Amino acid sequence: MEIIHAVHVFVKSLLFLLLWSNCEGRESEHNHVTCGSLVKLLNTRHNVRLHSHDVKYGSGSGQQSVTGVENADDANSYWQIRGKPNRPCQRGAAIKCGQAIRITHMKTGRNLHTHHFSSPLSNNQEVSAFGENGEGDDLDVWTVQCDGIHWERDEAVRFKHVGTDVFLSITGEQYGHPIRSQREVHGMSTPNQHNWWRSMEGVFLQPSQVPLRHDEL
Amino acid sequence: MATKGMNLCNVCCLLLYVITAVLAGRDFYQILGVSKSASIRDIKKAYRKLALQLHPDRNPDDPKAQDKFADLGAAYEVLSDEEKRKQYDTYGEDGLKEGHHGSHNDIFSSFFGDFGFMFGGNRQQQDRNIPRGNDITLDLEVTLEEVYSGNFVEVVRVKPVAKEAPGKRKCNCRQEMRTTQLGPGRFQMTQEMVCDECPNVKLVNEERTLEVEIEQGVRDEMEYPFIGEGEPHIDGEPGDLRFRIKVLKHPLFERRGDDLYTNVTISLVEALIGFEMDIVHLDGHKVHIVRDKITKPGARMWKKGEGLPNFDNINIRGSLIITFDVEFPQTQLDEPQKEGIQSLLKQSSVQKIYNGLQGY
Repeated sequence: MEIIHAVHVFVKSLLFLLLWSNCEGRESEHNHVTCGSLVKLLNTRHNVRLHSHDVKYGSGSGQQSVTGVENADDANSYWQIRGKPNRPCQRGAAIKCGQAIRITHMKTGRNLHTHHFSSPLSNNQEVSAFGENGEGDDLDVWTVQCDGIHWERDEAVRFKHVGTDVFLSITGEQYGHPIRSQREVHGMSTPNQHNWWRSMEGVFLQPSQVPLRHDEL
Repeated sequence: MATKGMNLCNVCCLLLYVITAVLAGRDFYQILGVSKSASIRDIKKAYRKLALQLHPDRNPDDPKAQDKFADLGAAYEVLSDEEKRKQYDTYGEDGLKEGHHGSHNDIFSSFFGDFGFMFGGNRQQQDRNIPRGNDITLDLEVTLEEVYSGNFVEVVRVKPVAKEAPGKRKCNCRQEMRTTQLGPGRFQMTQEMVCDECPNVKLVNEERTLEVEIEQGVRDEMEYPFIGEGEPHIDGEPGDLRFRIKVLKHPLFERRGDDLYTNVTISLVEALIGFEMDIVHLDGHKVHIVRDKITKPGARMWKKGEGLPNFDNINIRGSLIITFDVEFPQTQLDEPQKEGIQSLLKQSSVQKIYNGLQGY
């Protein structure tokens, strides 16, 4: 009887182990943010999406402004994830934690950018959209900070600027007319609850197979 | 008596054949027009091409259109799934364990978008009053290898979809003029915001998979629209998702239309005595080059049929144009070598002076 009981327990624990190992940490290819994808980025603390439009700052650099909006259905909140200048990333490849990327505004073709100018409402560092047709300068590069290996779609990540070392943040200050209720987006030097972002809606490219090769002998 | 028996036998055989043919199920490979060893990419390509042709909206006069289209959907559903294809290859259609789960509409819309049956790519401008959500345009980078051989890009679209919610909401809000009577013969006109009452909706994010085809010979800036996959509009229709092709520069080949250009540097010796070499093409096949005459710097060689397939007719190909340049020896020659060359080549001194620029 004891032997049977022992075997029973053994089989049960084996099954449990099998089940558990299948459920644990297998990263599905379909849940990554990949090179070339379009995403909307939600600031998790303030519940607004990263946004830009053809409206320039009235102070600071005078470049195109970047804000946070409450709407979920505006195409002006789409940004394309691309590689560094002169180092394109492979289409569909998952973005690694720590990887340097550019974040390009879909509609205007300008890159998420920051520099030593003051932001208009909170006096933090101004974040603008800069460049033409996706090409700007070296201050367009950000690294994705996350735990784990790849940037997961449901995960909150931080964006740290390469060059000035600030984190992309929102602290809640709101603009008036003509962009009423939109929040100020700026760079802050410390990581905190205001600089977490999560990818929401988007068009996520999957990795493709390499086209067939007909190698002759 | 014998003939009657024969006829009966024939009829029985025919009946049996017909029954088995019907019971044996459909030939999915024939429906898609692909061979039994077709790759998944060939199958997707065949489906996409035939779906556009066989869609019932496109064939309103054909009574069998609905059936043909349904057969096409069933064929793709089985052959595009590894497991199901194996079962089908071994046991036929009857051997398929489960019934057909996904509706054909799901399959069709993953290639063309939700409202893909509005043919022509663009919306019919029926009712300008229906508000429409924003369009999304994604720049899709493709390699020259993909332009040569074609490819499919799988895309996961995460978008907000309207779902029923409890209660009511205001919709179709508009300004209207209201006339109020202040007294006998005295009226006042005011502007007022008037809204209808609609069932309440909330937007919930949903995922779906789309298939974008990079067709052979596709050109820069060409667009592949997916109707209805853009931004939603709470009071109207969603906008479109468009993939705009961006062909990347290639390290070896330059594209001009359907022609490909490349350059090869050869040594002075090879230029004078001839040479043989292979150029590896975009899909891995080798283009063999043999030269037994003198090759001048700047000389061009045309290889017909070795260019890119033409987008409108992939059976027509452009040419590969190879331009040769010559690398002269790096080290200087000593006296014996100089004398040797003079006697070998027997070319007398030329020294012709002329204006080479002529205004450039």
